Amino acid sequence: MFHPESMSRLLIVASKQQLEPVITELYQMNIFHIDDYIEKEDDEWEGFRIGMPLAGADVSSAALVKIRSIASAFGISKDTVSDSERSSILELKRRIEEDLPDIAEEVEKLLASRNKLESETKEYEQKIDSLRPFTDTPAPLELLRGFDTISFIAGYAKEPVNVSVPHEKWESSSKTANLTILVVKNSDVSTAEKELLDFQFQKIQIPQETGPASQIIQECEQKIEELKKKIAGISAQMETIKNRHEFFLMSSEEFLTGSVEQAEAPLRFATSEHAFSLTGWVPSSKVSKVFENLDRVCAGKVYISELEVEDYNEMPPVEYQNPDIAKPTQLFLDLYSRPRYTELDPSLVMSILYPFMFGLILGDIGYGLVLLVVALGLRSFVKDSEAGTQLLGIVRNCSISSIIFGVLFSEFLGFSLPWQPFWLSRHINIGGSGTAEHALEEATTHGMAAAAEHATHIPELLVLSIWIGIFHITLGRLWGVRNSAVMDHGHHRSLKMFSHVGWLLVMWGILIAIWSFAAIPLMPDLTGSPAIIAGMNAPLIIGIILAVIGLLLIARENPLDLMEVPTIISNVLSYTRLIAVGLSSIAIAMVTNYIAIDMIISPQLKSLSIFGIVLVFVGIVVFIIGHIGNTALGALGGGLHPLRLHYVEFFTKFYRGGGRKYTPFGMVRRLIEQN
Amino acid sequence: MAAELMTVEVATATAAGMKAIGAGIAVGLTGIASGIGEMAIGSAAVGAVAENKDMFGLALVFTVLPETIVIFGLVVALLIMFQ
Repeated sequence: MFHPESMSRLLIVASKQQLEPVITELYQMNIFHIDDYIEKEDDEWEGFRIGMPLAGADVSSAALVKIRSIASAFGISKDTVSDSERSSILELKRRIEEDLPDIAEEVEKLLASRNKLESETKEYEQKIDSLRPFTDTPAPLELLRGFDTISFIAGYAKEPVNVSVPHEKWESSSKTANLTILVVKNSDVSTAEKELLDFQFQKIQIPQETGPASQIIQECEQKIEELKKKIAGISAQMETIKNRHEFFLMSSEEFLTGSVEQAEAPLRFATSEHAFSLTGWVPSSKVSKVFENLDRVCAGKVYISELEVEDYNEMPPVEYQNPDIAKPTQLFLDLYSRPRYTELDPSLVMSILYPFMFGLILGDIGYGLVLLVVALGLRSFVKDSEAGTQLLGIVRNCSISSIIFGVLFSEFLGFSLPWQPFWLSRHINIGGSGTAEHALEEATTHGMAAAAEHATHIPELLVLSIWIGIFHITLGRLWGVRNSAVMDHGHHRSLKMFSHVGWLLVMWGILIAIWSFAAIPLMPDLTGSPAIIAGMNAPLIIGIILAVIGLLLIARENPLDLMEVPTIISNVLSYTRLIAVGLSSIAIAMVTNYIAIDMIISPQLKSLSIFGIVLVFVGIVVFIIGHIGNTALGALGGGLHPLRLHYVEFFTKFYRGGGRKYTPFGMVRRLIEQN
Repeated sequence: MAAELMTVEVATATAAGMKAIGAGIAVGLTGIASGIGEMAIGSAAVGAVAENKDMFGLALVFTVLPETIVIFGLVVALLIMFQ
């Protein structure tokens, strides 16, 4: 629960004749995490080299590349194919040999001709673009070029142009710019062009075509139409091929991926001339299965042994071992860094505290229900993605917690419900006046009497959130002691453990000292203790002693850490965000209600008119948009802040991370039969 | 008499207004401060995540570190308004 799955290290040695059966069996079992062999010059592995791929690896890879290129042309992937049926491996092998080359060739041909047609279409489109300006010209295009003594200059200008050299000019104005064609003597071209620059003249090429531009454009458009028909025909052909072979392509992709992985597995083994050897990790509960199965497939001609583990901190890969409720939270741990093998896995605690904090922030039945519906509704969209499923699991847990806190806080979309909040109320009085009577009066006129009736306990709630922080950080430090005890060695180990205790002592010392002179709601009141020495009472003295001992313990490990002591206070106070962010979300909800209902809808309903009905609808729209926005903000704030409290305030006390993920050699088959 | 009453009322109202202004300043200034803090960290964090997706967790932690400033501002504002 608080520890990853226990792993055992196995060594497998056999002669090279057993290479294939061993790889196939390991791949089918899908439980063996291979440690890649790295060639090193030590005595233990002398004479061993990294292995060579099995025969056939290149053929499979080539076929796989072909299939993947076809798949990407078709835009299909494994996830889009239904896994209701499965292909048999023999049939697949036959079809990969016989059918695949034909399919690939056909698809390639179709793709090539489609590309050609598409580029032709583009050319015609470009031609049309270049011709478009000349549709209104008084002369056909062939008359705009090819003279010995005169030249044509065409282009756009923002204002009518004028040049000093002898010329003739044709202008047409449109909405965007004026097309101008100038005819000048060859000898005047450069002068004219220079002068045209002053008019911000943008020169364009006169197309090398014959006939009126509009007629050529029409011809081009006809050709494009024909080309598009041809392209559609090819696309339809490809669609038929796709529909016919989709399942075959994807199941053979799965099969070939497996074959290639198996064929390339020896690259991760140590091999000598006649033997091979590999080491790897298996969950301890499944060790006997590996022994039995390999013995069976190799008919006893394999040596397997469980190795002793030298350094548990670094070596074993980490696979979570948590009850179902904690599984979604593993996403957050992987996002931060997977725990190491020997350290405590905080998933379970986080899976309870994270939704708890979320609920405390967004404790509202309405928002909770919306998020619950979203989480359940999106489930079928992400069923193939593990992270997506985990994320929705977290959202589901959080929204349930949000509903529970909504009942406790008596809140529904910022309205108060007909019951009093349980224990502490966080109802606030938006737009209310200073005194309690005024507030009630004013709130009643706005129909929000319940909000003002319930006394707010915001200072108490802030103290409550500080208590959550104190316990969270204390737990973190205690786990820090445990992790240091297990993971550190030698002199450093005890220093580290005591420094964690030191941090705890400083924190509690400061707390006791504060209690001794300040009465805070919901916290022990020690101000009544009689003074003993120099006006200081017993709790203050105890607090100071604890803090000083703590500081000494911290300094013993590393004096520079003393610089961090103020973070004790800022870390604890940081938990007040649980209430502060929550209140801001209530405030937005109440303001939305106030604007939509009290300012727009209610006054209209009192004296209904046609214009009033329109305004009522406007009010409803404001209400809906306001609450959608607030749900998004609340979910984001409610999600990120507890995450930050865990990552920054909690994890920094004990968590190290950096564990290797357990990735067993093998795959879960979706589209092909097991055997 | 009437004038005196008015003065008391005006004084109460002014006090309430001052409280609201104080709360507003507390949240506003700390919000700007958080924003300035997160500006540089955020852009660097996005860069780091673009290079290496595994950095996401760490990048998020670094980015939200200055958030505490505005939370303190919010807490102060709440204490001003409701205590």
